[in-house]
Amino acid sequence: MLRRLLLAAAAGACVAVAGCGPTKAADAGGAGAGPVEIDLMRFFGSCESDYGTNTDPSRAVGECGILTSLINEFNAQNKGRIVVNTQVAEWGPYYDQLNARLVAGDVPAVAVMHESMLGDYVRRKLVEPLDAGFAQAGIATSDFTDHARRGVVQDGHVWALPFDTWSWLWHFNMGLMKQAGLATADGKPVLPHSPDELLAQARQFRKATGKPYFAWAAANEPSANARTFLTLVYQQDGHVFAPDGRSIDVHTPEVRKALDLMQTLYDEGDVKPGQDYPGANQSFLNGEVGTLIVGTWTIGQFMTEAKKPDSALHAGYQVTPFPQLFARPAIFADGHSWVLMKGGSPDPRQRAAALALMRFLWDHDGDWARTGHLPTRKSIATSAAFQALPFRRDLAEITSTGVSIQSNVGTQRSVENLIGEEVGNMIVSHKAREKGLHDLEKRVNAQLRRNHH
Amino acid sequence: MIANRRSGFDRAVLALLCVLAFAWMLPLLWVLALSFKPNDFLLSRTDAFLGGPTTFANYLNIFQTSLVFRWVANSAVVAILQTMGVLVLSSLAGYGFARTEFPGRRIVFALVIFGLAIPGQSVFVPLHRLFSHWGLQNTYAGLVLPGLAAPFGVYLMTQYFRAIPAELEEAAMLDNASRLKTFLRVILPLSLPAQATLAIFTFLASWNDYLWPLVIATKPDMYTLTRGLASTQTNFAQSEGLGFLMAQAVFAGLPVLVVYMFFQKHLVRAVAGTGTRSRGDK
Repeated sequence: MLRRLLLAAAAGACVAVAGCGPTKAADAGGAGAGPVEIDLMRFFGSCESDYGTNTDPSRAVGECGILTSLINEFNAQNKGRIVVNTQVAEWGPYYDQLNARLVAGDVPAVAVMHESMLGDYVRRKLVEPLDAGFAQAGIATSDFTDHARRGVVQDGHVWALPFDTWSWLWHFNMGLMKQAGLATADGKPVLPHSPDELLAQARQFRKATGKPYFAWAAANEPSANARTFLTLVYQQDGHVFAPDGRSIDVHTPEVRKALDLMQTLYDEGDVKPGQDYPGANQSFLNGEVGTLIVGTWTIGQFMTEAKKPDSALHAGYQVTPFPQLFARPAIFADGHSWVLMKGGSPDPRQRAAALALMRFLWDHDGDWARTGHLPTRKSIATSAAFQALPFRRDLAEITSTGVSIQSNVGTQRSVENLIGEEVGNMIVSHKAREKGLHDLEKRVNAQLRRNHH
Repeated sequence: MIANRRSGFDRAVLALLCVLAFAWMLPLLWVLALSFKPNDFLLSRTDAFLGGPTTFANYLNIFQTSLVFRWVANSAVVAILQTMGVLVLSSLAGYGFARTEFPGRRIVFALVIFGLAIPGQSVFVPLHRLFSHWGLQNTYAGLVLPGLAAPFGVYLMTQYFRAIPAELEEAAMLDNASRLKTFLRVILPLSLPAQATLAIFTFLASWNDYLWPLVIATKPDMYTLTRGLASTQTNFAQSEGLGFLMAQAVFAGLPVLVVYMFFQKHLVRAVAGTGTRSRGDK
């Protein structure tokens, strides 16, 4: 019985695999007259069931939907000439998989990359410079926004096509803000302009509503702590990394002020405790807090919720950039970009196809901005169409005030997580401040040293 | 009186076990319940077990992913080949260690056992470089071969073969059976319970493996099911795509459940038998 079962299962599986046919290799030869194939590697998920055949990005919503539709449209426009094979990897281990592909020589032509990761790949000479390619493709780098330029230009060369800027926002439940007397006559939130004002408003909110002012993902999401912390440091014109990007120093007055503010908010009960990413979002959507600190990517979702009559956000959702609490307007920001991987398009036709795809994506930066991410083209950020999108007029300032970790700091995602973990340890778990700062420096510096060996 | 007390004690133990079993099942039931809820509903409510809207959309989304059955087939091929390979290699090696004498046997066996103490992650990078160098990226060989090194399997089979009375083997040899024939006809059939245990453990580990397929299978049509389903998740699936995520967990877990249902009697018998084998226990 067992043997029969095993044999039947093996036979069935083999038939199924055979029936699916062999892997179709990318067209590496340029001499053929057929369409040239290029591989595009990305995250953002898969949504074939909804958008598998849609070629009209304006009918799509969400990151996955819009991007899938854009690639469908490109393939349709270039039928018989270019085929873009999308290869989707999940967001968490995306770079592990990209690295595995590079080691194996299975290099995609084009890949999506966080601008914070770009420096590592540039230093390892794994991506192509694009100055000449962009000139040839008609991509005007003079149209890059300030933040986009800082993200993709390194050592005087352009290394990626900036696709968006994403940043750290305050999302408001205006029903609760009104109840606390923290709404203006035109329905906007009253924003704090200093740490003291913020603390006073948070106390006022708690007294009026009995609820905490904030939710942010303080547990299990180190990057959220790091982004808030770095924003507060940047707003004091503070720096934590050495100019050469090889070490970190957090024994500064700016760091202490940032931590003091976060600690006071947490200790006074102005932050809903123990929230991870979905928990913090749920608290906000259920009307348990007044303000959620999270990124640009949730705007569409919260607007949809606010349209539901039974939603705690009903007709009362607002979003603003992280308010300026210190002297300098600055907000932690990063961006998604597209890179041309070295060795991924060995044939001139493939390279031309990859550049044509980049030009197409550049032309459609405005479509992508509907996700909530901010455009990387000045002409789009200032366009009437973009400014007419909800909240975008206020958010557009981030394209110039956004600050990223400097590009010569390696393995920024790990560094960001290490910073966030230790900030969380101090704020949430009450690790002694000096010990926390010492450990933060020790761990990050060890990571940075490893990058340079 | 004693019987009554005993019966009361048994009932109490049974009640406790039921409570513990329910507590153990609760997360699984929760996963199942959430898999039938719309994603946008779960944005704000993950505590609703039975209330709220119900949908099959999450499962439909899985079935409408064009490569999903390819991924199921890939997982089946890899898990079955790996299971068969581990059974063959572990049985041969286990028999060798248990029943034959050769120079350095103890040292080699110690080395195999030492393999149990080495976490797979620690050899991950060199293993990947090796397989990439051999051109095995995106191949079934690349997916299957690393799993054939199974120190646990060798250890299990060695211990099992050692417990089989030597007289059975000697009797076969007196009847002029060769060592191979003795192994195939006498010893191997006696080890079926252990083989079943090893098969189940290996199949489950292979079916559920995510990390190795993550780096060795980078073309979507070579993804295994765990790998493929994960690739379809959006960036913040734990929040905005929770129902889909739960449906994926149920879908990926179903074949494992089926395998367990077919093989569980062998598993229970083997696990119980390894501690209490007697000469008459075949």
